Amino acid sequence: MSRVPFRRRDVIRTLWMSGAAAAARPAWSDALSALAHEHARQPAPPPAADWTPSVLDAHQNETVIALTEAIIPETDTPGARAALVNRFVDQVLAEADSRERDEFLRGLKGLDERCRERAGAPFASCTAAQQTAALADISAEGPGSPADRDRAEFFQAVKAMTIAGYYSSEIGLRQELGDDGTLAFAEFPGCEHPEHGAPPKKPTT
Amino acid sequence: MSPQIKKSPEVHPVIVIGSGASGGMAAWNLTRQGVDVVMLDAGDRFDRAEFWTHVTPWEARERRARGERPPRFFLDVEEQPYETPPERPFELTRVWGVGGKTNVWGRVSLRYAQLDFKSADRDGWEIPWPISYDDIAPYYDRVEELIGVCGGDDDSDSLPGSRFLQPPPAPRCGERLLARAAESLGMPVVAGRRANMTRPTRGFPPCHYCGKCGDGCDSASFFNSADHLIPFALETGRLELRTNAVAARILTDDRGLASGVQYFDRHSGEEHVVHGRTVVVGASCVDSTRLLLNSRSDRHPGGLGNGSDVIGRYLCEQIRFHVRGWLPQLYGTPTRNDRGIGGAHIYMPRFNHRDPHRRDYLRGFGMQFWYTGCNPDGAATGSHTIPGFGASLKREIKRRHPAWFEVHPYGEVLPYAHNRITVDESKTDRYGVPLARIDYRIGENERKMAEHMADSAEELVKAAGGELVDYRRGELAAAGSAIHEHGTCRMGDDPKRSALDAFNRMHEVKNVRVVDGSAFATASEKNPTLTILALSWRATDHLVEELRRGDA
Repeated sequence: MSRVPFRRRDVIRTLWMSGAAAAARPAWSDALSALAHEHARQPAPPPAADWTPSVLDAHQNETVIALTEAIIPETDTPGARAALVNRFVDQVLAEADSRERDEFLRGLKGLDERCRERAGAPFASCTAAQQTAALADISAEGPGSPADRDRAEFFQAVKAMTIAGYYSSEIGLRQELGDDGTLAFAEFPGCEHPEHGAPPKKPTT
Repeated sequence: MSPQIKKSPEVHPVIVIGSGASGGMAAWNLTRQGVDVVMLDAGDRFDRAEFWTHVTPWEARERRARGERPPRFFLDVEEQPYETPPERPFELTRVWGVGGKTNVWGRVSLRYAQLDFKSADRDGWEIPWPISYDDIAPYYDRVEELIGVCGGDDDSDSLPGSRFLQPPPAPRCGERLLARAAESLGMPVVAGRRANMTRPTRGFPPCHYCGKCGDGCDSASFFNSADHLIPFALETGRLELRTNAVAARILTDDRGLASGVQYFDRHSGEEHVVHGRTVVVGASCVDSTRLLLNSRSDRHPGGLGNGSDVIGRYLCEQIRFHVRGWLPQLYGTPTRNDRGIGGAHIYMPRFNHRDPHRRDYLRGFGMQFWYTGCNPDGAATGSHTIPGFGASLKREIKRRHPAWFEVHPYGEVLPYAHNRITVDESKTDRYGVPLARIDYRIGENERKMAEHMADSAEELVKAAGGELVDYRRGELAAAGSAIHEHGTCRMGDDPKRSALDAFNRMHEVKNVRVVDGSAFATASEKNPTLTILALSWRATDHLVEELRRGDA
């Protein structure tokens, strides 16, 4: 069966070269990202007017709205806020291991603490410029203290969840990416570009 | 009222176990030739009207939030566990229900070539197949005509037999670029061969290219046993289908011949016995093997027909890994509708038997390319690895979205006696039937082949100008994840080294035939279902001849 959905345990580290161990991966962040990816193809809450989060409290929810919007903002198309990515994140957290969920919530709290230290306000109340600075700060890759690595893992997790949630929404897939959504063709057109190696089109008569 | 007559238990001419590719084909071919069949399947029927074939991701979320669920195809390991050594996991995928795995299969339909059937004759590793390509070619022809396989007019010594193929869908942009790069390296690329009908076939509408085959097809436009075989068998009036019938053991008489099948009701656990003169086993490789090993008796102490001790041994799956990334030539091109036939529209058949590609190991590999193109369910899989955030990230995700590619090499695993399915009397399922234990590992030949597969995939990506994402050389997909198990009840001419003869009949139990992947003498690098269908058709033609002669 070849159309395999993204599976969390698809990969086993069976190595044929000694010492070629795969780079150590942050387990909880990967697990949440993978769950979000599965989720993008499957469940999440409805866009109901009376929606309430099942994991996030009101402040955490506001923070997630601000955070996901800062990652995928409104441009010439709507961003993560309009696509209700916060609801997607809440749903993923609801189905995650409690350890993964706790790590995420700790990361959210850490972000607020850092913003209070540096900008005097929690993330959701920061200006756009302050939010950008905070994200640039926590997303920096490379060697750092364990706390820096924790922040970078948190950022990676929330970013992966945002991307999975946003681009599987109608706004993300249709409006932003421009998928036409057609589910039935008489013949599949495929690539018709000579520059990609397609044969020249037959002249129509 | 007339007095009730106590009937002796009915003895059916043929019992077929399993309703997937192998069992479905057996029942279809037997009933159409006038043979009465009772079929057991461990699960229920799936309702095509309830498939979520055309449900968008956001609709799926709303439906799930309302408590709706798509049909649950895959068997939960909690319901039917299996054992492995803790250090060697094996990912076993099973579908209980009418049609079995063909409801959601990958549909890749590749004939085995003479190259494959004669591999052991050539290199001397384990036993040869008892048949050659010429023996099975007429059955491949019939199967392809029956089920509708699309593909190109591009035969070679490693992939023959395009005569009956329906037109293939055009490749996607990324597939054309990969094909061109492959050609520059002397690696062949052909049109994918897949059991998606691209022309109306036997009253079924052709594929409409929604790309959602993996959720089950609501128009039955790819071959699956539940729509394309079982209903036709039922129409003859000669098939009795018993669902939720979990086969446990084949029963034998005092001559050691099969006399019936013991099964349990999946839900109530009630025990039943059905009597028959012939048994055709098609429960899929691992479960058929478990069934045979659990069918012990004084005449068959090591399991039914297992005096040779080959049943359960020589389990061969395939080695695979996944190479993914972007093709920069497609950056910034408009998002296209790349749904297509739900899988790659191209295939790379084996080439390592030709100069200058030969290396010092046995057998070969091919490559598949599914998910290449615009993902219809979300952003390209690797998007989370694009650095940064904000408007620049959003722009970059869109720019790279059409450029996603995937390369999936598949390599043959040799049959090894130690790669083995056994049954563990101390661990039983909810019906008290011993569980299967799978102990499987790859060897030196596979490690050498995997090196060659990685070199080839890397060269291909380089020639295509691709950027790799999350690629870790040496990391293989989970054992079992190809879902191509073979070899544990193999065919062969030598009864000391094989369980089945050239017509899938047990050497030691003449009224039992095993027609699924367990019968294969070698795995090859190819997807097995087309060959399973051809072998099952051939085996049951042979059974019909026997019945007509009165031998069975």
